[in-house]
Amino acid sequence: MNLLLLYLLLLKATVTSFSGLTSLPVIRHDLVETRHVLTDRQLNAAVVAGRTAPGANGLYIVSVGYFIGGVPGAAVGALAVMTPAFLIIPLLRYLGARAERPEVKSAIQCVMVAAAGLVISSTVPLARDALNGPISIAIAIGSFFFLVITRKDTVWVVLGSALIGLAAGR
Amino acid sequence: MAALQSELVMSRGWLTAEQYALIYGLARVTPGTNLLAFSAASGWVLLRWVGALASVLAVTVPPAMIVVLLTGGYEAWNSNRLAMAAIGGTLAAATGMMATSAWQLLAPQLKTGRWLRAAVIFLAALAASLRFGVSPIAILGLSALAGLFWWAPVDL
Repeated sequence: MNLLLLYLLLLKATVTSFSGLTSLPVIRHDLVETRHVLTDRQLNAAVVAGRTAPGANGLYIVSVGYFIGGVPGAAVGALAVMTPAFLIIPLLRYLGARAERPEVKSAIQCVMVAAAGLVISSTVPLARDALNGPISIAIAIGSFFFLVITRKDTVWVVLGSALIGLAAGR
Repeated sequence: MAALQSELVMSRGWLTAEQYALIYGLARVTPGTNLLAFSAASGWVLLRWVGALASVLAVTVPPAMIVVLLTGGYEAWNSNRLAMAAIGGTLAAATGMMATSAWQLLAPQLKTGRWLRAAVIFLAALAASLRFGVSPIAILGLSALAGLFWWAPVDL
């Protein structure tokens, strides 16, 4: 895939998201469903890589870029993650006073809720690929409750699930 | 961002509490990753465009390199049975992580006075995507539009 096109598709996903994995539905729609340059398994692996590394959750897009275009693809992914960040500067200069307006806050709250629905919608096909037995289903459910209840770093979930997977696969 | 508050406001005094609060609020409404937007704005306040660029590169490049190494490891170990068993476990956990991410987006909106709007928009977005295949961009745009006109009581 052309790197400029990859950048524009990843940028479309980051510019239309407001945090972490909310760009996932757009990425999956464009790269898995429409263009078939990424598999659900690779997207799942990208999420794991992004959540395991330190830094912002949105960096899984770097891994998506790497799967599609190697190191240049990863660089394009990093660029697509960084670009929208600079939109805050005109916001800071001209719109600072309006950020607290109730209609703006209300619109963003609704976008966040819709994004939650879209993340669940994207998780369904990824789960079909990754959850292929009682152990993997138990890992998925356990991971969810562990993260929601304890709020510990996801690296513990990654390590624990890898150990369980290893023990089950021996 | 909370860790940066301690460093930038309290320890070094590079930002005032008011500047931090404004940047924090704007970072949450800026598209993309909140932490990167926060870094861009903090850098811009301190050193204008050079500061913004340096800050964004500093919080992106090192972790991005780790992400590439982890992804490369996944590809390299793809044919190893034991490694794939371990990776299979982490891929299962990823679905749990994604569900957690959805819950973290939804939970703050389930407060008294907002839960009905949150439930309606969440279920509508889920159905539009899963059942009718509406594109995510259209769903997010319609949700923003709904938010402009449907204010929950606590927003007033």
